[in-house]
Amino acid sequence: MISAVVWLLICGPVVNTSSDFDTEIMPVLTRSGCNVGSCHGAAAGRGGFHLSLLGGDVDADYSAIVQQFEGRRINLAHPEKSLLLRKPTLEVDHEGGHAIQPEGAERLLSWIAAGAPRVRARTLKNFECDASHHLVEQIGEQVALRAVAHFDHGTSEDVSAWTVFVATDPATVTLDASTRTATILRRGQHTIIARYLDRVIPIRIALPLSDVPVDHSREPIANFIDEHILRTLTDLRLTVSPVADDATYLRRVTLDLIGRLPTREETVAFLAGDGDASTRRRERVDRLLESDTFAKYWTYHVLNLLRVVPTPNDRHAAQAYHTWMLQQIRNRVPMNQIARELLTAVGDTHQVGPANFSRSSPDARAQAELVSRAFMGVRMQCANCHNHPLDRWTQDDYHGLAAVFARLERGEVVKLTRQGAVTNVRTGERAIPRIPGLRYLPVDEDGRETLADWLASPENPYFARSFVNRLWRGAFGRGLVEPPDDMRATNPATHPELLDHLAFDFIEHGYDLRHTLRRIVNSVTYARSGATDNVNRDDDRFYSHALQRPLEPAVLADALYDATGVSDTYGDEPKGTRAVELVDILTPSEALDTLGRCSRNESCENVLVSGSLPTKLHQLNGDLVNRKVVSPDGYLHRLLATNAETADIVADIYLRALSRPPTDTERDYWLEQIFAAELDHRVQILEDIQWGVLNCSEFLLNH
Amino acid sequence: MFQRCDGIGRRDVLRVGGLGALGISLFSGRQPRPALAGAPRAKACILLWLDGGPSHLETLDVKPDAPSEVRGPFRPIPTRVTGTFVSEVLPNTAKITDKIAIIRSMTSPFGEHGLANEYLLSGHQPTPVLHYPSYGSVVAKMRDNASDLPAYVAIPDVDAPAGHGFLGSEFGPFAIGGDPSKIDFRVRDLDFYPGVNSHRMQRRRDMVAQLERFQRAADFGSLTVDRGPDSRFEQAYRMVTSPQTKRAFDLSAEPQDVRAKYGLGFFGQSCLMARRLIESGVAFVTVNFTGWDTHDSLVLRLKDGYSGAKVGVGLAPTFDHGFASLVEDLADRGMLDHTLVIAMGEFGRTPKLNTRDGRDHWPRVFSLVMAGGGVHPGIVVGASDAIGESPADRPVTPSDLAYTIYYLLGIDPAFELHTSDGRPVPVNQGGQLVKELLA
Repeated sequence: MISAVVWLLICGPVVNTSSDFDTEIMPVLTRSGCNVGSCHGAAAGRGGFHLSLLGGDVDADYSAIVQQFEGRRINLAHPEKSLLLRKPTLEVDHEGGHAIQPEGAERLLSWIAAGAPRVRARTLKNFECDASHHLVEQIGEQVALRAVAHFDHGTSEDVSAWTVFVATDPATVTLDASTRTATILRRGQHTIIARYLDRVIPIRIALPLSDVPVDHSREPIANFIDEHILRTLTDLRLTVSPVADDATYLRRVTLDLIGRLPTREETVAFLAGDGDASTRRRERVDRLLESDTFAKYWTYHVLNLLRVVPTPNDRHAAQAYHTWMLQQIRNRVPMNQIARELLTAVGDTHQVGPANFSRSSPDARAQAELVSRAFMGVRMQCANCHNHPLDRWTQDDYHGLAAVFARLERGEVVKLTRQGAVTNVRTGERAIPRIPGLRYLPVDEDGRETLADWLASPENPYFARSFVNRLWRGAFGRGLVEPPDDMRATNPATHPELLDHLAFDFIEHGYDLRHTLRRIVNSVTYARSGATDNVNRDDDRFYSHALQRPLEPAVLADALYDATGVSDTYGDEPKGTRAVELVDILTPSEALDTLGRCSRNESCENVLVSGSLPTKLHQLNGDLVNRKVVSPDGYLHRLLATNAETADIVADIYLRALSRPPTDTERDYWLEQIFAAELDHRVQILEDIQWGVLNCSEFLLNH
Repeated sequence: MFQRCDGIGRRDVLRVGGLGALGISLFSGRQPRPALAGAPRAKACILLWLDGGPSHLETLDVKPDAPSEVRGPFRPIPTRVTGTFVSEVLPNTAKITDKIAIIRSMTSPFGEHGLANEYLLSGHQPTPVLHYPSYGSVVAKMRDNASDLPAYVAIPDVDAPAGHGFLGSEFGPFAIGGDPSKIDFRVRDLDFYPGVNSHRMQRRRDMVAQLERFQRAADFGSLTVDRGPDSRFEQAYRMVTSPQTKRAFDLSAEPQDVRAKYGLGFFGQSCLMARRLIESGVAFVTVNFTGWDTHDSLVLRLKDGYSGAKVGVGLAPTFDHGFASLVEDLADRGMLDHTLVIAMGEFGRTPKLNTRDGRDHWPRVFSLVMAGGGVHPGIVVGASDAIGESPADRPVTPSDLAYTIYYLLGIDPAFELHTSDGRPVPVNQGGQLVKELLA
């Protein structure tokens, strides 16, 4: 039997011009999957052969192939006997099985035959696919994938055969590797990632979710958000839900902008308001944005978003930090300016609030990870040990960013010293400070200023996008990029143009928090009802209707207080303290222990009402709700003491907790329940109604 | 699609990318694959976690012929299985060796509590980037829970390595939070708030249900609101109102002689509660028995319990009572066949006594014991060398152990779990089935 390699030698069109290792051989290895994490790309390699993860380190890979293992991986005298070929063609035993296609083997063979040189003939300048967005009509339809590489010296080449195409969800799209066609199996918007050398491009393919075209041309449009959203909905033939009623909108926007329920009085006044509904809503939004409650809530919220945590048991530091942030939000300091201050502040953390940012990271690497997550929306920690497998970040970027913070002394007083360095684990040498993905910084200057300038500049591609994505997520329950701290080319936004537009608009308007929030909550998209029809019911990312979100723990604790008039105890804080206004997030509190706390160590963005079993048990049987419904100080028992009409008491429970009066049906039903009971049971029934309201999803969700 | 070294297709490897955009549907369609031949034997599992690392030389792997500093203070005793000896401090265990399997060749690289805990409790070698889920959490994730009780219960509670890891808190253990041997023991928030009884609780639940119905019936024109019912509310409600739950946690329902047989202290009563929980449908129970980190005074800690004790009440006799009673009780009730019992800690102890008559951490070889759930009874797997320093035969890694535990529980060790950011992680990595253990 003739081996595959010999057969190639005989029949294959072996050309004796050498391939370029960097741009022609490396793609063969990547395309064949040799350097993935589960094979030779693993940190320890596989079977003694180690390649850099997805070809991140060409020098090391060349050495591994040509020089290591006493050069036995290639055989210059008898190229066809090279292990590099015999293994993946299964001529000798290979745990990874038959891993290489004929054209790949052919290329390797001709390269070895030419002496396995590294000629560095060309470098990649640009990589693109012939379309980044396809719209197909039916299930089973095929899309041809084509990729082109542009090199220096102006040459271009169709590299489709050497590009790795991967469907992000293989259940929705199948890829035929040999013909490079994608077959669409399900309706929806799908993404294929194209990877060539170190470049990655997402390709979107949309197959409408219904056969019936939708006409959204007459939908109201408040601003550019609605235009982007409606365009995608039209492509996908998704119906839209109508705008929510006033009560729902008021509750939603009040929770989102100031972190609490509307008061009974606000609800009643808003619902009684006359005139144009949209004008009334806009005025309400403006009032909320101007309020001091807004500043207090967003102090809490921004501290969460930026994951800033005060040093435990240092009340003065926590106070200084909180006071400073509150001032910034009150004074409408641009968000990029706030970031700049946090990045560069030094001094006594009891006096200089923003200096706590540097103090809160235990070391330079932790600070680099925090900075990249908080201000860039990227996760760089993979690049500690190896180049990021899904993104552009290298170990030099990671350790270089850490080196920027290496000279900080992180005590009660944060100081810039002359000493301090981090080791780049790739080189084993002192890491050179670096703006990730961009350039090295002089070793002897304080790189934090330069880094802060770069992050805060309007040209920065990360800061504004990651910040507006987080604002979007707060208002819709889902980021345009999800999760919000994992923005990268391989994790594309559902609406890339909208994200760009929001970021541009945010920068144009001076990085103003209130401006972007106003844009969002004034959009028709934000105001849509959560009710759905058969077509848009399952939509969870195209915003054809409102998504329902659990109230986060601190907001829920405050909502329980507002709905009942009975407060919780927070450490030694005065009675009536609100959870979102706590200066120290570690303040003892049974309510927060039960509902879940944001420790700010982990990504607090994912802390929702924990809903875990002990929490629910506590909601059923514990103090949290039970104590409030029986308290003589609560609204319910105070009203009972005034001999109020039963119907008014039911209405009060509804207005305070659900921000709406009961419907006639609801009111009649509850009254019937109450009056059917013995006289001395009626108070109990009212308590139970309030208890039920506080445990029903309409209360527990921002809907 | 080419197969990768470990059987993972390329798309699986790269799937991590882009999860944020459209990834959710990834998970919805994937069901546990029953890829294993033969039906699983074990429906449930009780892990007796001997926290701190019990000395193998003073328990299951005696070395009577070794020098005294290796041999230690205790004598060997014969067991029900000819030729198998255990330490004199385990007389009840000796009487049930025909029902249990001992592994004497466990081996692990980690001699530090934290890392060793993570490895032994998950079967994955620890890494700083990922917290792996413990056995109980994987079982909770993979099993449909039809019971009124949670799938994974910890007595009294456990540390993070026995927790949910990357799987999310809903798969974490439900910690009963107290010592079940105490007369005033109650599971927190299981009893109604003062003034509430089951009648009133049912009314409240009916009211919540009515409120949800009102919502769904609200006038949204042709549209509907898809909200609730809240499954966790229902689970909590079922748990607090189910007579089954209250009964499961109520040890006073046990005859006094049964309670006494298990031992009246924390561990014995915890073993008893574990049995009651399994009977009530809990899939995985961990009993957290701490104190085995015996750096000094082996006789006092392991045997006597307090100085001058006439009858030893130290760690070993306490364990011996509880463990042997549990296995016998399960066997008597016909439950042992489908209940896997494992007793182990995170490592063994140094072959030579230290200057304080104790032993320090020793992961290179140690022992554990398993019973029921498809485990071959009456056997000893592997052996350590003459001084209990290294495996002499058939080394078993914690990863192999994990593979075998999942196999016995009918969970495909190759099944891929996913981290919150979509990284696929098999239930077990690199382990091999310990075939000798299978009945």
